[in-house]
Amino acid sequence: MEILDALLTPLSYTFIQRGLLAALMVGVLCSVIGCYVVLRSMAFLGDAMAHAVLPGVAVAYLLGRNLTLGALVAALVVALGVGLFSRKGMVKEDTAIGVLFAAALSLGVVLISSIRTYAVDLSHILFGNVLGVSSLDLWLTAIIGSIILVSILLFYRQFLVVSFDPVLAATLRMRVGLFNNLLLVLLALTIVISMQTVGVGLVAAMLVTPAATAYLLVRRLPTMMLVSGFIGGFSSLVGLFASYHLNVASGAAIVLTTTLIFLLVFLFAPQKGLVWDLARR
Amino acid sequence: MTSQHARSTTAQILPDEPARLEVAGVKVSYNGHLALNDLSFQVAHGARLAVVGPNAAGKTTLFKALVGLIPLKSGHIQIHGQPLGHHQDCVAYVPQREEVDWRFPVTVYDVVMMGRFGQQGLLQRPSPSDREMVMNSLEQLGIADLAERAIGELSGGQQQRVFLSRALAQNPHILLMDEPFTGVDFTTQEAALDLLEHLQSEQVTAMVSTHDLTLASERFDQVLLLNKRMIAYGSPQEVFTPQNLSRAFGSQVLFLDGVAVVDQCCPPEDEFE
Amino acid sequence: MRTLWLLLASVSFLLISGCASQTSSEVQEEDILKIVAMNTTLADITQNVAGEGVEIEVLIPPGADLHTFQPTPQDVAKIADSHLLIANGAGLEEWLQELIDNAGGERMVVEAAQGLEEATDRPGDPHFWLDPNHVIHYAQQIRDGLIALDPRGESKYGRNTVEYVDQLEDLDRWIKEQVAVIPPEARLLVTNHESFGYFADRYGFEIVGTIIPSVSTGSSPSAQQMVALVEAINASNTRAIFLEAGSNPQLAEQLADEAGITVIADLRTQPLFPGEGYIEMMMYNARVIVDALR
Repeated sequence: MEILDALLTPLSYTFIQRGLLAALMVGVLCSVIGCYVVLRSMAFLGDAMAHAVLPGVAVAYLLGRNLTLGALVAALVVALGVGLFSRKGMVKEDTAIGVLFAAALSLGVVLISSIRTYAVDLSHILFGNVLGVSSLDLWLTAIIGSIILVSILLFYRQFLVVSFDPVLAATLRMRVGLFNNLLLVLLALTIVISMQTVGVGLVAAMLVTPAATAYLLVRRLPTMMLVSGFIGGFSSLVGLFASYHLNVASGAAIVLTTTLIFLLVFLFAPQKGLVWDLARR
Repeated sequence: MTSQHARSTTAQILPDEPARLEVAGVKVSYNGHLALNDLSFQVAHGARLAVVGPNAAGKTTLFKALVGLIPLKSGHIQIHGQPLGHHQDCVAYVPQREEVDWRFPVTVYDVVMMGRFGQQGLLQRPSPSDREMVMNSLEQLGIADLAERAIGELSGGQQQRVFLSRALAQNPHILLMDEPFTGVDFTTQEAALDLLEHLQSEQVTAMVSTHDLTLASERFDQVLLLNKRMIAYGSPQEVFTPQNLSRAFGSQVLFLDGVAVVDQCCPPEDEFE
Repeated sequence: MRTLWLLLASVSFLLISGCASQTSSEVQEEDILKIVAMNTTLADITQNVAGEGVEIEVLIPPGADLHTFQPTPQDVAKIADSHLLIANGAGLEEWLQELIDNAGGERMVVEAAQGLEEATDRPGDPHFWLDPNHVIHYAQQIRDGLIALDPRGESKYGRNTVEYVDQLEDLDRWIKEQVAVIPPEARLLVTNHESFGYFADRYGFEIVGTIIPSVSTGSSPSAQQMVALVEAINASNTRAIFLEAGSNPQLAEQLADEAGITVIADLRTQPLFPGEGYIEMMMYNARVIVDALR
């Protein structure tokens, strides 16, 4: 049991306990909504939204408003902006995202460099640290995270149909626009609260990699969400522990863990794995 | 076979009922040009209508407008004398194969069950009668044994039957089928035509777009020939005249000894623009 | 049409070459000495040494992070217009050479920390000025630079420096007195990054650890490093974590929570308010530390 004890030493620190819980919640949350991100090819959009919060934070600071709210608004503006540019059919969605991503990031840099006075370093707001999670952060993440998950479950059928077959949705008189926008709102919320806990790079990865892994393993969407959530949570746990014992950055360790799992599945998945494919030839 | 119907009570079938579908002066704009230009026609209940025309004539656009997915620049569309949206789940749409995301993680059963979602409330779970309807539809299309397969694993014909099955499960008043005969084997084609016959006996109106002009003239009572504008509408004999074909297909049609040859590859020059 | 373009081109050329010809940095009889100081500490020291009759501008505004600061084109312009540039040196301003090159022209550059010996256990630590004795050296470096640039002011600069050094020595004595109130075993500091090393050396403090294990603010600690810090705090009598005003308290708060100590978010490495000079700043820092640890 000594090895187990040694393995679990970090748990004796409450800040690591909180970090673990936060990473776990964020890992599961991002992985579940990440299923829609992957299936609807929104990976680039998710990344753009995560980085676009910089000007939102800057503007909120300048106006003396809540920074998280500013981040949320900015993420939504980018998402809806992409929709606007590409809906008219003149600009491809990929292009629209590229344009808005760069613009938002640069706007943020300009605004922040203009705040050259006695102020908290704003860019640190973006780079939440999983080791710096307070009890309040934990509660907020839990509550808002639950709301997001419940919404996804509640509107499962609507999101399913709107994602898979918008024409069917129209014939069923489902409000396609409403649910598309609702999904964007949920995604923006996910990104913003997750970012505060674990930083930009981690969020973008957790939205994509666990879901991509699950996709290789299952046939149905509900199963995909379950498996994805499990992989996300598991990666967070293992990654955080590994980062402690290997003395490396925690966020990056989590991302690398989930990527490693993806690689293993890609190579060895029953039937679909690359290794079996090569063996069959 | 008879199936349980959950029809909307406004669909009383009377001999002098207003035309099931009415399209009047419809113009649809896409990307700055007119995809549909001043379409007007009426379809009676229970009619079997083939929609034909060259590529990019606006057939899919018309169907999407009928479903309410595309806004009209002008004109109106009415079903049972009421504007679109008034009746829930009135129209079923069978998409073109290339418009479907075959890599989406859903099974055959999942897809057909989606057709029942319109009948279920916000928090409702599928009821036993929903499940029964889905299985019945699958059986009728001969794919009940494929229920648990992922749609990506199916052959072209099987994939088509999944969507036919879904349309059946929806219990529609109007069925729209977008090129259901393209790239499918003969058995599947016959299955689709059988479905149409069955539905016609149930007074369901069917609008089917196709490139197979022979099929259109032989197996359908009405034909709508269009190329952004309506060229002709009526029985196959009325519609398929050399003059109408020339107007629709432009120089892509060739008349040889009483035979008309059409190459449908590309949209012809629109002489009306 | 061609004549118009030709005219436009010639006029533009004349204007541009006119602007470019103002790079002489020789001090004329009528010119006021234009000095750019990298930060507010250096500006204050320079003001004390130079006295009246010079224009001093600060490049890095108070409160901005010295380590992650990025100069803008306007900053380059400020330097281009100046006769004398006062920097800390010792690696604090990593982008200094680039800035000077971009500004072009010629001016005198004083690196105030030049000649000071680094602490052997903290290689690369440029925060010399947190020890007033090193600031004496800074003042002398600046004085020498001013004299080289403006020999007529030699006696003035010399006198000012002597007076200022007196004040600095008074400050040093005063801090010693203040600090004496803190029991020796409680003279423990945990700071945001390794900025108070020279202060600790001079006044008998021990730096138990820093949140960011670096002389720069640009990185983040690992879980193991944070745990090590918690252990170090628990094993010692450390009573508080001291943050520089404006730094991100996130990690510090969790650490303090874990170890059961407080966070004081008030130390300064630069004078922050107009009217506050280096000496006032150091007195403020001393008071903050003494109040927390006595």
